[in-house]
Parts: sequence; structure tokens; C-alpha cells
Amino acid sequence: MGPVELLHMSVFSQSFSPCGRFLAAGNNYGEIAVFSLSAALSPDASEASQKPILNFTAHDGPVFSLLSTDTHLLSAGNGEISAWSWAELIKKSTKAAWTRKPSYETSLEIPEINAMIINPKDNSLIVGGGDNNIHIMDMETGIFKSVLKGHTDYIHCLCFKEREEEILSGGEDGAVRIWDARTNRPVHCIEVFKYEECARPQFGKWISCLATDSDWMLCGGGPSLSLWHLRSMSPTSVFPLPGCQREAVFYQDLIMSVGEGPHVSHCLHGGTVKAQIPCTPSSLNTLALNLKNSEHRVMTVGGSSHQIDVFTNFSYRAFSLSF
Amino acid sequence: NIIIIVIKRFAVIAKSQSITPESCEVRVYNEEVELEDRDPQQDYMLYKDTCADLAKLMAEIQELKSSGAKSVEIEERHRQCSVHFITLKKLNRLAHMRLKKGRDQTHEAKQRVDVLHLQLQNLLYEVMHLQKEISKCLEFKSQHEEIELVSEEEFFQEAPAEISRPHVTRDDNHQLTLARLDWELEQRKRLAEQYKMSLARKEKIQKAIEQKREYLSSLQPGLQNIMQASLPVQEYLSMPFEQMQKQAEVARHLPPPLYVLLVQAAAYGQACDKTLSVNISGDVDEAKALSRRPEDSQEDESDSDAEEEQQNTKRRRATVGVQLEDKRKAMLRRHPLSLCVDLKCKDGSVLHLFFYYLMNLNILTVKTKVSTATDLSGAVSAGELLNSESLLNCLYASDHGKETPNPANRYQFDKVGITTFADYVSDLGHPYVWVQKLGGLQFSSDGAQNVIFALSASHMEKTMKLLRGRLQARLALHKQFSSLEHSIIPVSSECQHLFPAKVVSGLTRWTMMSYQEFTHVLKAGLVCETDLFFMAVVERGTARLLAAVVLNPRYPEVMPLFSLSLHWKGERSGRTEDNLRAMESEVNVFRAELQGPRPGLQLLTNQIQRLCVCLDVYLETESQVCDGSEGPREFPREKMCLRTARGPSRLKPFKYNHPQGFFSHR
Repeated sequence: MGPVELLHMSVFSQSFSPCGRFLAAGNNYGEIAVFSLSAALSPDASEASQKPILNFTAHDGPVFSLLSTDTHLLSAGNGEISAWSWAELIKKSTKAAWTRKPSYETSLEIPEINAMIINPKDNSLIVGGGDNNIHIMDMETGIFKSVLKGHTDYIHCLCFKEREEEILSGGEDGAVRIWDARTNRPVHCIEVFKYEECARPQFGKWISCLATDSDWMLCGGGPSLSLWHLRSMSPTSVFPLPGCQREAVFYQDLIMSVGEGPHVSHCLHGGTVKAQIPCTPSSLNTLALNLKNSEHRVMTVGGSSHQIDVFTNFSYRAFSLSF
Repeated sequence: NIIIIVIKRFAVIAKSQSITPESCEVRVYNEEVELEDRDPQQDYMLYKDTCADLAKLMAEIQELKSSGAKSVEIEERHRQCSVHFITLKKLNRLAHMRLKKGRDQTHEAKQRVDVLHLQLQNLLYEVMHLQKEISKCLEFKSQHEEIELVSEEEFFQEAPAEISRPHVTRDDNHQLTLARLDWELEQRKRLAEQYKMSLARKEKIQKAIEQKREYLSSLQPGLQNIMQASLPVQEYLSMPFEQMQKQAEVARHLPPPLYVLLVQAAAYGQACDKTLSVNISGDVDEAKALSRRPEDSQEDESDSDAEEEQQNTKRRRATVGVQLEDKRKAMLRRHPLSLCVDLKCKDGSVLHLFFYYLMNLNILTVKTKVSTATDLSGAVSAGELLNSESLLNCLYASDHGKETPNPANRYQFDKVGITTFADYVSDLGHPYVWVQKLGGLQFSSDGAQNVIFALSASHMEKTMKLLRGRLQARLALHKQFSSLEHSIIPVSSECQHLFPAKVVSGLTRWTMMSYQEFTHVLKAGLVCETDLFFMAVVERGTARLLAAVVLNPRYPEVMPLFSLSLHWKGERSGRTEDNLRAMESEVNVFRAELQGPRPGLQLLTNQIQRLCVCLDVYLETESQVCDGSEGPREFPREKMCLRTARGPSRLKPFKYNHPQGFFSHR
């Protein structure tokens, strides 16, 4: 990887290992790098510990989504999903456990996979991507058991509500659709851009980030990032963030979101932006919180740079890992 | 009492005196003669008795006087005392006379002893004197002992009988020595004769040699004429003996590194590359003068340095600067001879390389010149391309040729106050590392310097190829630049497949930029001062795309880098917008696709054409508003794309697929 390639690298996805001591990141060249958090966070960390312990090419196209189960790391490339055993990855073996492809209708261009989530109730994998459909795969058998159709443009993000067993999906067509996971039927469709308080016609209508917390939903993209109350299906607060947001999470009583612009925004439920923490990349694609391990409780963000910023205290950037 | 004292005094005197005897029968009374008969001891007893009698008489007188006796008895006694007094007086005289006699005898004896003593001294002195004379005589070295004489056996063997006279000399050392000296004299006379004769012969032979030399030198002009006459024959047969001989003759005076370079370049030229030619230029006489006294010049320098230092302290400040300048000039002196290597290319352009040797610094430098078959049209932005200062910059990575590669020079520079060699580079030429290697000079960190033939040979081929490649790349760029300045992007037929048939965006400007203007655009690390910077402006409708281009001197080995900023409905750049960043990546990263046929000289123009294509895609796929009020679009969609957005960052499809002709995502 020469310096010019590094200059043009973007990090699109991140996932922490089940034990919480390792971080996997995927970039636009189809590479996955595994970093050792314990080495990078230890007191005698050096420059070398901020480099990956393992770096390999996993897919042809960019790795837009990474997801960790209890034992495996799932990565999404051009229309295919591969699984890697975490134990093997830590031992630096790069042999995939399995690779599966959902069935696509179009044949000209292979659609990308933008989002993956797990339904823990029936142990199934839900993926959404460039072919405008949501595919559900059974984790044990590996068979794609159902397809949820409804979106008119490609799917950006997916979310799962455990209590009601509902799947939420946001897409380029500007709609947030809510599906019932048991019956695989659509329940609701919210066209966010039609709501005046959120809409930003100068940007567009797409929804690129979704997050839920019991009855609340965060969504944003072309329209402003807004907090919705799902029972009443109405936006309660709109966050005045300048760029388009690509990922947002609920954390304790804060909302943290990243997107266009070199900063992580901390917002309060009421709609105020509490802080904007500066970062290295000029725009961010992914934000991840390591809540599985109390020792290495960090937040990592990646975007249009080969560097991944690590925040030990969420208020400022501590150091950067680099591909 | 008084009388007693007088008596006691007489007694003392009498004890110490000897008394002279009375004299002989003649009427003369000689007391002295009497003295010899008397015995001092008897006299002493007599004196004692007399004193005792006197004492007795005195006592009687006193008794009588005190008892009032008659004066007759007293007078009797007085008379007896007087007699005793007379005796005492005689004794005294005798004592005196004895004393005198004794003294005289002693004196006489002493005198005799003195005389003898004197004689003894005289004799001793004479003895010493004689001894000194003797030792002087013994020490005398006669000159004859310094003459080396042949040994005795040889002498007796060789010398004729009249001289050696063995019957005499065998016994008598003195005679032997004399004989040997005689023989020595004879021999020397004979040898002196021989010497004179030899000298005379030598003179004669010397004269003969002179004559023959004159004869030979008279032949020289004749030979020259023959050589001149044969020149046309040589040319006809293309065996330039004379030229090669002349060159070989001059080459003898080259300093070792230039000689190595000459030999290796000539060999390479003969073996592999017929278009390479080497010549020597410069002042041969000066070089000869230099080689004649190499040690003298060094000593002179150190002496003159010492002299100058002494004079410096006496003179004022102004002249110190001038002397320092002179010292600097002396240190940076070039050898009078230099090499000129010409590399001819197929299109008729020639790269002239002039190699110089700096004697005191022991490094080689090079100056360049390019001459082209056709006159290069004046492309403004191409000014730097063939600039002789920077033409050979970074031929090998990071070989800037600004500092001397010889670590020992640092100490020399400190002595004369040169801080950077870069100031003198435009005058003296560039000391690139590859030039040193071609001359067989290798500078290791511990300062050991050797002139190594093998080093030169191993680098020659690669360097010549790089030089030729560099010239061709620069000439190609020159041509391309003059086309770009006329807003035409020259795309060759072999590369047409990289781009769609219709490209609407066009290049409107191509200019040079300076390093300062560029630094804010791209992060350092990929860019350094020796690179060339340009600005390209691509326009379509109201949209203007500014591309800052950094061209590494080693183009096309190193790809040019583009940094974009778009002025259309606001300003966006590759730093702020993901799609522009994707466009940069499309142009900067895919070398294998863009470099075209070997040797890859189309790289830059292909990159610019691709930039235009990407701008077309960008503008045509940009939707101004979401559904609802949509005004007339400025850029109607003409490019075929399957999808206009893909992935979390909604990138546009910039990849062109041939021959299908549609755009897709990477």
C-alpha cells in the first residue's frame, strides 16, 4: 500500500470482538484490519501498537459493513457475506469460515451490502443493500429464508427493535420502513422528508442513519438528524447539525452522531448540540462503542482517512490507529 | 721583698739560657769558648746553690738587721751577696750565650734544609714537565695514520721489491710503515691517471649521443606530415586511429575519476549504445603543469596558508575577506580537463553532459545542455522542464545534487567559511551521487575513498538508460505542455479506449505554480520543494474545477498527484467532499490503467482527460433538489450509469467500462 493509496483510503465499517480486546475495521479497498486494543491502550504502547496485527484483503469491493456475533466476525463485500472466526483471526489466520450470497435479480452490476444486523430471537441475519431489498438469512443453516421488498432505492441502514421484534430500514428513497420480523410484513412507512421541521431539500431526501432505544428512534441523512417518538410517529426534536449524518447511537443520556464534517457531535435529547469533538478524517462514516469490555471502554470513529480515531474519554481524541 | 723578686726573675732567665764558655789562651777572654766546656746541668745546679746561698744570706742579714747586729757582719754578708750576684750575672750571660748559639745552629741547619728543599722542588718540576712532553709526544697523531693502507699481506704480495724491501721492513715497523706509504702513493698516482682517461672518454660519448638526438628530432616534422597525409585515408577506412591516439594521449593527464568515467563510457558506447560519444575538452598544458608538481602545490598551499595567517594579523579586516575569498576559490578549483558525453536520441535531440573534477574536494560534478533537432515552441509552463539546473534532479530517488557527497569536504568547508555547497552549484555543476559512482568514487561514512572501476561499470548502463529516459520524458512533456496551453489534451490512439467518445468538459488553462502556493493544498510527505507544480482548470458551463498538480522530477516513474477543488454553487474540495475525493482517487491511484504504452509518457495527459470525464459524470449526476420543484437542469444526463449513488457515502460512478461504454462504481 503506497502513500498515494493510503491517502485515498476510507474506513467504512468497524466491529469490536466479543471479548472487547480487538477491533476489526473495513476499508474501501476491500481490506479488513484487526487492531489489538489492549496493546494500543497499554501504558507502554508505541507507534507499532497503533498498527494492525493483521491486515488482509477480504473482498473484491469495499467492506461497507462489519458485524460481530459471539464467535464470528461477519463482513459484507460486493454482494457477498463472509464469516471469519475471531479465534482464528487473533491467531492471524485469514481463512473464511463461510461465504454466502443472497440471491439477486439484477445481473449487470453486483449490488453492495450496506447494513447487517442480527435478530437474536430466531438467530437470523438481516442484510440490506444495493438491490433495494432486505434479505434474511438463518444463521445455523445459511439459507436465505425471506426477502422484504418495499424500498424504491437502495437501503442505507437497518435497525432492530427487540421488544416488538420489528425491523427498521432507511433508504436512499427517503423512507423509513418498519417491518414485523415474525410475519415479515411491512408495518409502517415514514417519509421523513415530508416533515417540514426535518426536511432539507438542498441536500436531498435519503436516510443514512437509524438508531432505536425502546420507544425512540433517531434518523437522519439528507434531512436533519431528528429524534422520533415511535408510538406517536412524530419528530420530537430536530438537531441543528450542519452536515448529513451517517451513523448515530444512543449512549446513556446522550446521542452521539457522525457524518459529513470532521467531528463527533454530542447531542441531548432535547435537541441541543452539546459538543462537537474534532477528529482526524475530514468526514466520518462509522462510529463504534466498545461496551462489552469495561477495561477498554472506548469509542472509535473512521471515515475518509486511513486513520481511525480512538476516544478513551469521549470528550477528546486520545490517539489514532492507522491502517 | 724586692730582692726576692729580682732573684726570682734572674732564676727564670738563667733556666732558659745556656752560657757561653770563656775564650782561648790569648789575652782575649772569650767567654764563648768557655761556654762549650761547661755543662748546662752543672750551671743549673750552681745557680740553684747560689740562689739558695743568697736566700740564706738575706735571711741572715735580715736577722742581723732586726736584731741590731754590727754592720761589719752585715757588710760581710753584703759582700758575699754581691759575689753571689756576680755569679748569677755570669750565669745569666752564659745562658744568653747558649741561647744565641743554639739559635744560630738552628738557623744554619734550616738554611741547609731550605736549599735542599728548593732543589727537590726544581727537580720535581722538571720531572713533571718532562712527563708532559713525553705524553704529548706519545699522543701525537701523524697524518699518515689517516690514510687507509692496504693490509700487510696484500702489501707484501702486490708491492714490487724496491718498495717493500722485506728484508728491512719485516723487522722494522717504522720502515714497514714508510714502505706502505710509498706504495700507497704509487697506487694513487696510477689511479688518478686512469680517472682522467675515463673522463675524456665519457665526454666523447656524450657528444655522440647529442648528435644522434638531434638527428631524431629532425625526423619528427617528417612524421607529422605523414600522419596528416594519412588522415583522409583513416576517415575513408573509418578507423580513427589518430583521433583515438590523441584522446589517449590527453587521457593520460586526466585525473583518475574522469579517466575511469572516460574508459567506462567509451566501453559502454562501443559495446551497447552506438549513440553515445565521449570527448575530452579543456587545457592540456595546464593539466600537464599540474601533474608535474603535485607535491609542490600541496606544500605551497600549506606554506602560503601559514604565511597568510601571519600576515593576516598585521593587516586590517578588509583584506581578510579577500584572502578568504581567494582560499575559497582555490579550494573549489576545477581540473582544467573535462569530459563531454553526448547521448543522441532517435528524434535527433541530444543530451550533452559535461563532467568536471574538483581537485581539492575530490568530487565530480556535471552540467547539462539539451539540443533538439527542431526548435521547441515556447510553452510557457514548460520553462522548468529542460532547465539545465533541474533537468537531472532526482534521477535516482532523493539525489538532489545540492550538497557534496564527500563527508570529508565538511571540514574543508569549515576552514574557509563555506556554509552550503548549494551556493556554488550553478557555477561548478551538480555533484550527484550517480556521477560519483560513474567515476568510481565511493564515499563510505568513515571517509575511505577509492577509485573503483567495478562501481562505475555496474552503474553505467542503468544510469545511461535513466538519463535517456529522463530526456525523452521531458521532451515529451514539453510537447504535451505546449498542446495543453492551447487547451488541447493530446490523447494518443492507443489510449482512446480509456475514455468515452464524447467528453464535454474541457481544459481551459494550464499554468505553472510555485511551491508556496501549493503547500496548503496537499499534506507534506508526498510533496517536496524540488517537485514541479502546475494548475489545470477544467470547465463546463458554470462549473470550474481547479486541479493542483504536483509533478515529481522522476516522472513517469512517479505518478503526478492531483488535488481538486470545484467552484460550482459554492466551493467544495477533495478535503471536504467525498465525491471529489473519489475523483482524486480515480485520477491518482490507477497507474496501470493510465500510463498507456511503454515508456508511459502519456500518463499526465491521460490523467487530465480522465479528470474531464469525471467532471462530466459528477455534474450530470448531481441532482439539485429532491423531488418536487425541479428547475431545468444545467447538465442533462448523457453518460450511461447504472446507478448514480452507491454505498454509505453515496459515491458517483466514475469508472468507465470499455467497450460497453457505461459508468460503474469501483
